[in-house]
Amino acid sequence: MLTYSQFAFVAALISTVLATIAYAWAMSAGHRAAAGASRRKVLVAASGDDLLDDLDSLPGGLEPQDTVARDTAMSATTLARYGTRLTWLALGFLTVCLALRMMATGHGPFVTQYEFATSLAWGMLASYCYFEWRYHARTLALFILPMTVVALAYAGAQNSQVDPLVPALQNSLLLTIHIIVAIFAYGAFAISFAAAALTLWTPQRWKHLVPKDEVLDRLGYRAVVIGFPLDTMVLVLGAVWAEIAWGSYWSWDPKETASLVTWLIYGGYLHARVARGWTGRRAAWLLVIGFASVVLTFVGNAFFGGLHSYT
Amino acid sequence: MTTTVRGREDVTSHVPGHVDHEHGVDVLDGSEQDGHGQHHAHPLHKVWLFLISMRTGLWIILTLGVLTLLGTLLMQVEPEVRADAAAYQQWLAGTPTQRYGGWAGILDKLGLFHVFSTWYFIALFGLLSLSILACSVNRAPRLWRVATRPRTTMSTVFYDHAPLRATIDLPIDGAAAVERVRAALHHRHFRILDAPDQRGSALYADRFRWGPFGTVIAHLSLILVMLGFVVSASTGFRDKSFIAPVGVPVSVGHGTGLVVEAKSFTDSYYDNGAPKDYVSDLVLTADGKQVARHDTRVNSPLIYDGVWFHQSSFGIGADVTVKDGDTTVYSGLVPLQWQSDDGQQSIGQLSIPARGLTVFVIEAASGRVLADLPAGSAQLEVHKAGVDNPLAAPVVSQGQSSLVDGLTYTYQRNRQYTGLTVKQDSGSWVVGLGAALLILGCYLVFFMPHRRLWVRVRDNADGTSQVRLGAPLKRDPGFEPVFEDLVSTINRTDAPVGQTPEE
Repeated sequence: MLTYSQFAFVAALISTVLATIAYAWAMSAGHRAAAGASRRKVLVAASGDDLLDDLDSLPGGLEPQDTVARDTAMSATTLARYGTRLTWLALGFLTVCLALRMMATGHGPFVTQYEFATSLAWGMLASYCYFEWRYHARTLALFILPMTVVALAYAGAQNSQVDPLVPALQNSLLLTIHIIVAIFAYGAFAISFAAAALTLWTPQRWKHLVPKDEVLDRLGYRAVVIGFPLDTMVLVLGAVWAEIAWGSYWSWDPKETASLVTWLIYGGYLHARVARGWTGRRAAWLLVIGFASVVLTFVGNAFFGGLHSYT
Repeated sequence: MTTTVRGREDVTSHVPGHVDHEHGVDVLDGSEQDGHGQHHAHPLHKVWLFLISMRTGLWIILTLGVLTLLGTLLMQVEPEVRADAAAYQQWLAGTPTQRYGGWAGILDKLGLFHVFSTWYFIALFGLLSLSILACSVNRAPRLWRVATRPRTTMSTVFYDHAPLRATIDLPIDGAAAVERVRAALHHRHFRILDAPDQRGSALYADRFRWGPFGTVIAHLSLILVMLGFVVSASTGFRDKSFIAPVGVPVSVGHGTGLVVEAKSFTDSYYDNGAPKDYVSDLVLTADGKQVARHDTRVNSPLIYDGVWFHQSSFGIGADVTVKDGDTTVYSGLVPLQWQSDDGQQSIGQLSIPARGLTVFVIEAASGRVLADLPAGSAQLEVHKAGVDNPLAAPVVSQGQSSLVDGLTYTYQRNRQYTGLTVKQDSGSWVVGLGAALLILGCYLVFFMPHRRLWVRVRDNADGTSQVRLGAPLKRDPGFEPVFEDLVSTINRTDAPVGQTPEE
């Protein structure tokens, strides 16, 4: 069963890489189409909006005789659709991978760094698929998918052997919920990071291809609105477990401290945005800092040790 | 009909429905703004304004975040070590000095080796609590007013510029149009209030009106959590190195009247050598009667009358007795919990503070054969405060004694022990309650946002009517599709009229 899980992992990695390529290619094709249309002074339906997210509407906005531009645009549409399908496929493979592993080990993916990283990749893919389905925000894939590839590559570099549950981890139900909630929270934060990254780091000449800053700002906020309550639950569930296992709900352990910092940053973001009106680049920087803290929290125990190190 | 338009903030900044970012309030209900200083020179009022300022809260959170990060990145000393000045200096001269070089002294002066117990860290938490409390007190009356006595009518300028707005021309008269709007709102579970309107009809509708109280709940819950920390730190007890020799009843102390005895301790391992289970069979007695018995594991503590017993460690210890004539000055199990650098010896330590004595109990480590420390013997290295060299270091066989500086040291035997963390913590319940309220508050705020809209219906001269709707968008992106759907329903020719679906 573990062998099949590994096969599914490799298939997910390949699908994610292909989806990344498809989206990048679609972006490039969309850019060429928009440039061609602009040269011919053709009104592009999605002008100034998000081409990648509005690729379906792009061909209809071009004049029929503009065949070159239309072909390019249609290929962009097709590529983006392939990107979407490949992403869903990757999510499916990764779900199978994790499900088979959980069936084989008898516990949730909370023991090894391989399991953490694979789960994080799953969380990012699942969050992206939700946001694409709900908000048609395909452009986020330009950051989310490479991040997923990195997470999967990192997981692939770790030892994937099954480690037995040491006594501290023998609270399967609580820890499984703790980890699953964390996966969704971090996946949502990854979405907010992608939205912020698009705001901050899209070159000016590519700006017409991504959603407006206002849209990205709302997407980032929406992701945090989902992620923050979940992150609160992660902290609380962690504290409950610590109380049962270690006799103290809070020990200033490096990982729980890093989690608190992450929570404080996103809490600060929500207050800054809602009450102080921080939007655009300032809010985006907070989201970047928040996600840096997520990464630090995620890999921190490898450097800091503490109660979350079980080796 | 004009379609729904989401207004730009620069257009709507002066109209109701806009969130006033400067003051952090929604001015939809025309709330009276505080003067913010210019008319209030009283120092107490300035303190109040400081506390309710969002900027204050943000700076405190930011500073706490930075300090917490420093506490994560820098080495932190154990509280027990810090409590002992000599031990702390010894600790400071070790790894911290090696790692941070000349910065170690500065970091020490700044208290950054014990960030979480520094006065300024605790003071910041206190200030944050005050700020949260002040903000909640400041905000709650306004939320109550909006929930219970909302403004039900709006002027034309609102319908012209509201962030969400629509104008619908219907081929039916005003009364029928109102019924249609009412049915559409009922269908979406909105509360509907009739509003006075001299030239037609007006409605106010809202949903989740108690949702905004989630902010008050969430913020007050943080205070509860911090209060729980204080209760934990100031009441009850926590003994992190409670040693229970197997087969020997040990008093728990701290006024509990409890005695715990480990009937057995078992450690088991997987084939790869990883630990599989640590289990202590603990029996708890009070006034000589057994009150609890439990196989205590890492994730399965024994809990009795608010006292928790957690499996923490295990090992071998030496039973040692020290007597001054017939008076016993020490008797107990000394855990051999350290190893010498070369791994040849197991070492334990006992202290007799009244005599200024520290005794190291040294045995050959498990599986080691040492010529000068044969199996079944222990070396007792006796140190006295203020004396550089050990007073003596006799090697004593099991059951034998040795006289050092007028005291008789007896090494009785080796015994297995289980290490427990024993605690009584009333604060954990407070923290738990705070955490539950925090989650509840978060979900109320983010997933039950107060949705409000105003409707105005006017009859036209030709028997048709015009319906205008306006609503704030605030921080609720999910409201926009609901609003659009509502407009679409009202505009449909087959829209339900006069129906009131079940709630």
